[in-house]
Amino acid sequence: MRFVDEYRDPDLARALSAQIAALTEPGRHYKVMEVCGGHTHAIYRYGVHDLLPDNIELVHGPGCPVCVIPMGRVDDGIAIAEQPGVILTCFGDMMRVPGGRGSFLEANARGADIRMVYSPLDALRIARENPDRQVVFSAIGFETTAPSTALTVLRAEQEGVENFSVMCSHVTIIPAIKAILDSPDLRLDAFIGPGHVSTVIGCRPYEFIAREHGKPVVCAGFEPLDVLQSVHMIMRQLAESRCEVENQYGRVVRWDGNPLALKALSQVFELRPFFEWRGLGSIPQSALRFTAGYARFDAEQRFELPGVQVADPKACQCGEVLKGVLKPWECKVFGTACTPETPIGTCMVSSEGACAAYYNYGQYSRQRLDLQVL
Amino acid sequence: MSFGESCSATEGCITCGDTAIVLTVVSIDDADACCQDATGRTERVATELVGPVEIGDRLLVHAGVAIELLPHDGVPEA
Ligand code: SF4
Repeated sequence: MRFVDEYRDPDLARALSAQIAALTEPGRHYKVMEVCGGHTHAIYRYGVHDLLPDNIELVHGPGCPVCVIPMGRVDDGIAIAEQPGVILTCFGDMMRVPGGRGSFLEANARGADIRMVYSPLDALRIARENPDRQVVFSAIGFETTAPSTALTVLRAEQEGVENFSVMCSHVTIIPAIKAILDSPDLRLDAFIGPGHVSTVIGCRPYEFIAREHGKPVVCAGFEPLDVLQSVHMIMRQLAESRCEVENQYGRVVRWDGNPLALKALSQVFELRPFFEWRGLGSIPQSALRFTAGYARFDAEQRFELPGVQVADPKACQCGEVLKGVLKPWECKVFGTACTPETPIGTCMVSSEGACAAYYNYGQYSRQRLDLQVL
Repeated sequence: MSFGESCSATEGCITCGDTAIVLTVVSIDDADACCQDATGRTERVATELVGPVEIGDRLLVHAGVAIELLPHDGVPEA
C-alpha cells in the first residue's frame, strides 16, 4: 500500500476489520493505547474505532503536545511577553492554551506582542527583522518538533543573531510511556507507536516495552488503513503470544531513526532532571533544556520567570483523559462548560487532544469511513 | 503557510499535532529547498537534517524543516 487512496480503500478497510475480528478471543477485552494525538485525531475523524469489534478498546495517550503543557508554563510565557520590547512567538494551538492568567490570546488583548508562527525558523526571521527587540520562541512538542528548534538555534548561532532565544518546553515520549506503564490505574495490552516521533527516534527506543513489560508496539502511519493495519499487527502478535516492536510505517520510519536530526538534538539540548506534565505530574528526564554550549539561547536564563506551579481548575479532568483512565465524554464539563471555543482544559484546545477530537468527530459512526472519507 | 492552512479547529495545528506532510523539491537554494505539494502550493523547507537533496526528491516536512528524505521506491534506507 503506497498511495493515499490505497490507505483509504473501503474494501481493504472492511477486509482488515474482518481479519481483526477473527483474531480476537471471545470474552477477552483488549485495551490498545494510541500514544500520539495525531492518531487520536485520525481515529475519530475517520471513525476507525467503529470498524473494530466491541471488545477492542482504543485508549488515548498523552502524545498531544499542547495537552501536556501545565498552566504554570503558559504563565511563564506570558511573563516573558509582558517584558518591554519582547516579541513572543509560538505555534497556533499554543495561543489558546489556558494558563492561570489566561491564554496568550488574552495576553495579547492586554497589550503583549505574541505572534503565531508555523516554524521556529519564522521566529528567527522575525528576530532578524527586529534587531531592537528580543524575540522568544515558545517551543513545545515531542521529538518530531524538537529537531526543528535545534536546527533554528544552530542557524541563529551561525548567523550571529543575538536577540533570539527559546523557552524550551520540548518533551520526550519514552518517559511518558514509562509513567503510563507504571500507573496502577491502567491495564493496557499494547501500544500504537507515534509515527512521526519515530521518524526521528526510530523504533528501537520502544523495545523495552516488549522486553520488560511484555506488550506489543506497532509504529503506525496516520491514514485510516495505517491505524487499522497496526491494530491487525497487534492482534496477530497477541494471538500468536508474541510481543515485539514492529514498524507498520516502514515507508517513512527507519528502525534507527534520523541520525542527523538526533545529532542536532544532542548538540543543542540535553535532558532536564524533571519536568512537570499536565496530568502526569513531574516526570524525571522527560523534557529538554539547553546544553551549556547553547545556554545563551535559553530564554529561561535571559528572562526572569515566575516558575510557579498552578493547579488545574477543579472541573478539569484532563489528567485522567491524558492517562487514558477517563474517556473525554466522561468529564463532567465536556461539551458544556468546556468546548473548543471555550476550553477549560488543554485536551479541548488542540484538535489532536482527545476531547476536541471527540467533540469534533465523535458523533459520527461507522458510516463515516464509508460515506465521508472513502 | 497561513494560519488557516496550518491551524484550524477541525484540521488541527500541523505543527502542534505531530503532523508531517510529504512535499517534492522543485528548486534548491543553499540549505533550503522550495518544495511543492500535490496541489501546487509551495513552501520553503530547511534541509540540513536530511543531508543533500535533489530536485524531484520527496521530503517529509514538519514545521518548515525536512525530517526525512523519502526514497523514490517508497522504502527508506535501513
Ligand atoms: S472536557 Fe475539558 S476539562 Fe474535561 S478533560 Fe476534556 S479538556 Fe479537560
